[in-house]
Amino acid sequence: MVFWAFRASTYIVLLCGAAVFLTIFFKGAGTVFKTEAPFINTTFFTEAPETLYVFEYKGEDMEMGDKEFRAFKEMNPDAAKVSTSTFAYSAGGIWPAIAGTLLLVVGSMTIALVLGVSAAVYLSEYARDGAFIRFVRLAILNLAGVPSIVFGLFGFGMFVSFFGWNVSLLAGWFTLAFMVLPVVITASEESLQAVPQGFREGSLALGATQWQTIRKNVMPYALPGILTSSILGIARVAGETAPIMFTAAYVVRDKLPWEDLMNATDFFFQGVMALPYHIYVVSSKIPQNEYTERVQYGTAFVFLMLVASVAATSIVLRNHLRNRYKW
Amino acid sequence: MFPVVSDDQPSPQESQVDATIMKRFYDTELENFRNHLIKMGEISIQQVHDAIQALVESDVAIAKKVIAGDDELDDLEVLIDEDAVTYMNMRAPIASDLRLVIVGMKASHDLERVGDEAVGIAKRAKRLAAEVPFKPYIDLPRMAAIAVEMLRDALDCFLDHDAEKAATIIKRDKEVDALNKQLYRELTSYMIEDQHTISRAIELMFISRSLERIADHATNIAEEMIYLVNGKDVRGG
Amino acid sequence: MVTTEIPMDTRSKSSVTSTPKSAQSSGSKAVGAVGKTLIDIDHVDFFYGENQALFDINMKIEEKKVTALIGPSGCGKSTLLRCLNRMNDLIDGTQIKQGKITVRGIDINSPEVDPIELRKRVGMVFQKSNPFPKSIYENITYGLRLQGENNKSKLDEVVERSLRGAALWDEVKDRLDTSGLGLSGGQQQRLCIARAIAVEPEVILMDEPCSALDPVSTSKVEELIHELKTQFTIIIVTHNMQQAARVSDRTAFFYMGKLIEYDDTQTIFMKPNHDQTEAYVSGRFG
Repeated sequence: MVFWAFRASTYIVLLCGAAVFLTIFFKGAGTVFKTEAPFINTTFFTEAPETLYVFEYKGEDMEMGDKEFRAFKEMNPDAAKVSTSTFAYSAGGIWPAIAGTLLLVVGSMTIALVLGVSAAVYLSEYARDGAFIRFVRLAILNLAGVPSIVFGLFGFGMFVSFFGWNVSLLAGWFTLAFMVLPVVITASEESLQAVPQGFREGSLALGATQWQTIRKNVMPYALPGILTSSILGIARVAGETAPIMFTAAYVVRDKLPWEDLMNATDFFFQGVMALPYHIYVVSSKIPQNEYTERVQYGTAFVFLMLVASVAATSIVLRNHLRNRYKW
Repeated sequence: MFPVVSDDQPSPQESQVDATIMKRFYDTELENFRNHLIKMGEISIQQVHDAIQALVESDVAIAKKVIAGDDELDDLEVLIDEDAVTYMNMRAPIASDLRLVIVGMKASHDLERVGDEAVGIAKRAKRLAAEVPFKPYIDLPRMAAIAVEMLRDALDCFLDHDAEKAATIIKRDKEVDALNKQLYRELTSYMIEDQHTISRAIELMFISRSLERIADHATNIAEEMIYLVNGKDVRGG
Repeated sequence: MVTTEIPMDTRSKSSVTSTPKSAQSSGSKAVGAVGKTLIDIDHVDFFYGENQALFDINMKIEEKKVTALIGPSGCGKSTLLRCLNRMNDLIDGTQIKQGKITVRGIDINSPEVDPIELRKRVGMVFQKSNPFPKSIYENITYGLRLQGENNKSKLDEVVERSLRGAALWDEVKDRLDTSGLGLSGGQQQRLCIARAIAVEPEVILMDEPCSALDPVSTSKVEELIHELKTQFTIIIVTHNMQQAARVSDRTAFFYMGKLIEYDDTQTIFMKPNHDQTEAYVSGRFG
């Protein structure tokens, strides 16, 4: 009897998950894929968002993005007088958002892994047990429960205002990194603890320093576990909107962060567009209709694809390392 | 370690399992132990042989040599006992190693007694050498020859780790016993006939008894060899 | 920080190529003659935090001999062993509150002595064999690589020498690149021994090296110990009385943190001076 209850709940969960994914898939597929070659709507992936113009011209229903419309108007001067319905962000593509998300993920995960693994190494290998360390561990655990909007506020106050970075990649990176840090630290520490003590003792007994022991005989075997935590982290970092709302993301931004820079370091102080934020924008900031729905689901679809592919890379890397450092 | 060949055991198959036997670092101690025992065997056989030779040839020099040579046998017995106790304490031997140590201790006692009997013969031979033999020595050399042969066969059993010869040794003991009885009767009749022969005859009787004892000891050793090889105790049979 | 060098003895670097089957005459009939002292344990009291584990231990370990430490569980023998290469430093709150341990005259706990250097000279083999999950080759060269040795031919030579010295060469010479974890239990322990001797220590500490092994592997390791003592000073902790009797030259009996008796192995096992020792070795307690 109980067995069926467990089974049923599993299936319910699966059903819900499937419902979500399938909705996004089917509704977004229309935007992402085309019926003719090359079967992928490359404009969607490579262009910035544009305003959609819907109008009737010579008896035909037409819809065009801004650039296309301008060109069209030049070719057909009489089209300028046609009345159009405009829909913000419903044409063009989401390339800046894709780029922005990728940058944010890469940057924040780097920071999170560097800081997190170092902290985990310290906690696992060097720290002596005491009241202070127990307090630190408790603090890390609590950090995991902090709502992401609070992180956003923290980021805003600390990085944007106090450090004066303004809305920028740097601010976003650090805010997101701090948000995902507890997961990285706890998972890494656990992976390090899982490495048998015999490896450490054997290494030390041969005259290795502690750092040599960690570097050569502990860390490599903890890497798969550390990478697993990074997979979790990536999904979270890519998907959170609240932390980047005030710290890194713009509703719309013409230039990509590497364009038109005065000097190279300015790159870090550029704001970006981001996929989750973009979904938020096209879902709530502007009036809803069939055209915006296209963009929403298309963006969601792309977003899922992106996270899945980054996670897949991480999994491949983890499996490769697992085989290399088998124990 | 060694293939055990005995009647009531199934004939051993050709060994399918190629178990590489390791030589342990304390195997040399066992080797030394065996060698001491073999040496004792050789010496005691030689002592018996020489003692009878001293008698037959009335050679006092040889008799003296036999008497002096007993010290070596005594020393070896002490050495074997010490080694056995040490070995059992420190190495805790099992199976054939244990039997070897135990048999070694027992056989060394028997061999030491053989040596003592040989000394006894030699002493009497020395005394008899001063006098004229009243009868030719026939039976005594024959008894001695059998006894020596029994000892030698017992030693061979040990060297070859083969208990087959051991059975024949036990049989020959009866021969020696018979000869001993026969000699008693003969010497008794000599003594009755001529009382001047009494002292000499008594010496010869004692010598005969010594040889009979030596044969008994050889029989004991044979029984111990059977135990060593087969792990079966055949005493009382 | 000035590191005081523990003086090396002038032993020749002859290779350890003796095969395990070479028989050596038993040297266990050691008379009371005392050889040269390598390690001097002088009035040592050892504490785990507030608990005293060793009480006034006095013993001199002789060079190129096998010294066995025996005693019931919890008597402090492993603790003492781990003091000798300062592995107890890894545990919080441990300290030697009184007395000192000197190796060739140098106090190993003095601030000038680097425990890393000490451990290169005093190696250790653990109860549960812990080959690293690397290849056999990498296991053996681990210690040397730590010291910066990267010359391939030198490393090859060391690998062969160490594996021969550990009586493992013939069994693994064709698969040096396979994982050390793929060996049997006895082979793994011999691999750990090879790894320890690759850095050419003076002393090898063995903490119940055979307790997890089957009898044949145990025999092989014992043969190995018998070979190794020509080159190294060996201190072995063992629960197996017979093993101590078989392999060691000197034996120390511990009980409840005290050293009860320390003498030639033959004396300890044939006619010990203390009743407690007699009771323990004859299996009547512990």
